[in-house]
Amino acid sequence: MTDPLALDPVLPARERSQLPFNDEALDHDERYRHFEAHVTGGGKVEATDWMPDEYRTQVLRFVEMHANSELMGVLPEREWIMRAPTLRRKLALTAKVQDEVGHAQLLYRVAEDLGKPRDAMIQDLLDGKTKFHNVFHYPTKSWADIGIIAWLVDAAAIVAQQALRDSSYAPYARTMRKICWEESVHIMHGRDVVVTMVTGTPAQRASIQEALDRWWGPLMQMHGPRSDRSKDRDIHWKIKAKTSEELRQEFLGIYVPRIWELGLTLPDPNLGLDPATGEWRYTEPDWNELRTVVTNHGPKSEERLQFRRDNWAATQWVRDAILASPRAAA
Amino acid sequence: MDFTGAGDGRERALALLLLSMADDEFVIGFSDSEWTGIGPILEEDVAISSLAQDELGHAQALYRLFVELVGDGRDADAVAYDRPPEGYLHARLLDHGRGDWAATIARRYLYETADAARLEALAETSFEPLRDLVAKIRREERYHLMHVETWLDRLAKAGGEPRRRLTAALEAMGPDAGTVLALLPGEPALLRHGILAEPFAAIESTWRARIDGAFGRLGLPALPPTRDPQTARTRHSETFRALHREFTMVRGSEVAASW
Amino acid sequence: MAAAKTPTGVLEPWEVFRQEKDGDPMRHGGSVMAPDATLAVHYAREMYGRRQESVHLWVIRRADIHDLADPDLLQPPLDRSFKKPGGYVMREKLAAAREVSGQQKPRANKGTR
Repeated sequence: MTDPLALDPVLPARERSQLPFNDEALDHDERYRHFEAHVTGGGKVEATDWMPDEYRTQVLRFVEMHANSELMGVLPEREWIMRAPTLRRKLALTAKVQDEVGHAQLLYRVAEDLGKPRDAMIQDLLDGKTKFHNVFHYPTKSWADIGIIAWLVDAAAIVAQQALRDSSYAPYARTMRKICWEESVHIMHGRDVVVTMVTGTPAQRASIQEALDRWWGPLMQMHGPRSDRSKDRDIHWKIKAKTSEELRQEFLGIYVPRIWELGLTLPDPNLGLDPATGEWRYTEPDWNELRTVVTNHGPKSEERLQFRRDNWAATQWVRDAILASPRAAA
Repeated sequence: MDFTGAGDGRERALALLLLSMADDEFVIGFSDSEWTGIGPILEEDVAISSLAQDELGHAQALYRLFVELVGDGRDADAVAYDRPPEGYLHARLLDHGRGDWAATIARRYLYETADAARLEALAETSFEPLRDLVAKIRREERYHLMHVETWLDRLAKAGGEPRRRLTAALEAMGPDAGTVLALLPGEPALLRHGILAEPFAAIESTWRARIDGAFGRLGLPALPPTRDPQTARTRHSETFRALHREFTMVRGSEVAASW
Repeated sequence: MAAAKTPTGVLEPWEVFRQEKDGDPMRHGGSVMAPDATLAVHYAREMYGRRQESVHLWVIRRADIHDLADPDLLQPPLDRSFKKPGGYVMREKLAAAREVSGQQKPRANKGTR
């Protein structure tokens, strides 16, 4: 867990407009009160602002998990880059995974400017001290998985990310806008793969249905259990604006009709829109499974972390080399 | 060689040239794309993935020229994916697997510089579709050369382990470096019809002189002559065969399907 | 690219500004970590230009940026409305002038072209 006292602001605090919490003459509690009023009133926070430790660590934890998820999220997909069945699909999948690495870069940069060095964050991830999202702990078994993930996992992610575009922490909000723009292409690529296979051979169609049956559970768990809005600290600080359930409803509302449109079924007999309430009803997701998985006991958790540890160790010499100053060019 | 419709000497020679270039870009693109997601530095991971995508894009464009020329009903994907391993014409240099970062940089440096010399000799080719494509590829290759020259320089001058890894990689690959510019069957036809500006032997000389200059400045040993030039593009390694199994796995599972 | 860059020997943030299309202003895109300008420019191209989404990039070491955020300088407290359009409200004066002249408020005249 990150020690708040270890997080010195990377950039020197500067006065920004006339925000009172940036006034060093005030005591901590007064600054905290001004800051809280500012943020809960819709004000934005920049990297150079004073922040109470609680806010700083809350944002860092949030962004760090997001960055970790992008970095681990490449692993289920990258093995299929080698197996892509056409040049265009190979290019698209390579570009998609590249974007995920790019997102990790963007997010680690945001987190780093809050005070935690990139190497420390990656080390904590590899040591199992910080987490990454559930969906990246599962195996990919076929090319159909690649379509389902690119379409629906990215869709579920974008629903969450769109809601973060107005986060109180401005550097994160700006990054979300760039990420959302880039992710929209991934969803289109994924949907194209799925639609192509669904209208292809019977074996291709069956493969998509099988992958969807396997991925539906993790997808339903992805946004997390219902939380009490009034007790959610991320919502209090306006780091995020929507609850897990709001995000899940939004996801279901857009994507279930699109799944059914293709003649695919979902493995939940209770799934359906309640016309009286306008809410989607569904079988309660297995929250035990979610807890088990995100604490690194998922089917692929340890294997993928070990893969990353081995890769990190094997490439350390390059990170050291890049800092060696080349003697002045001839 | 498994293609029909290659009528006179010119067409067959041109088809071989296009296929050899396309296969070079395809195979190096594959190796480089393996770094996606596991690069040594996040920013460098993104960079090498772009380079790999460029190579695959070049391969795709060259395969398209090939299928237009040969016209046997195959599309670019069929040519790229549906041959047995021995039907591929890439240079043996590219049979060396991805390796570590130093091996990747070494292989890329040797390939990109040789390819640059080859593209120079095709810049005024009489075959117009290729002339247009070569002009575009050369513009993209400027970025590739910048990247690989920066890294060769960096690794060589860092000393210690980086330099040791680099020199080991160059030593392992050196004898295969010239395979990119090895004599192709049909060269006389390529020269006679103005497709190639000069023989591969001359292109290789130019390239070797440049490399020796660059290596000399960095205190790296000169490249040895090409080992087994007669099998430069025809005897492929188990590494390539394993790659072939990977890239045909999905496509081969449902023949003639759309993906 | 320009002449030799001095490597810093440490990874530092470099800020990237980008121009989306001809005529647009340079806008801040984000930052990259690099040990020197050569790699900073490479990485900036990757993070902010690999999709052909920019026509121009500026890459600057964050430590070289001169930062001004002092409110006394940028938001000084005394009135400066004479420097802004909002400082010239003429509604009542114009109404009075029209009363004296007997004229109506003119409509925009686009001419007879």
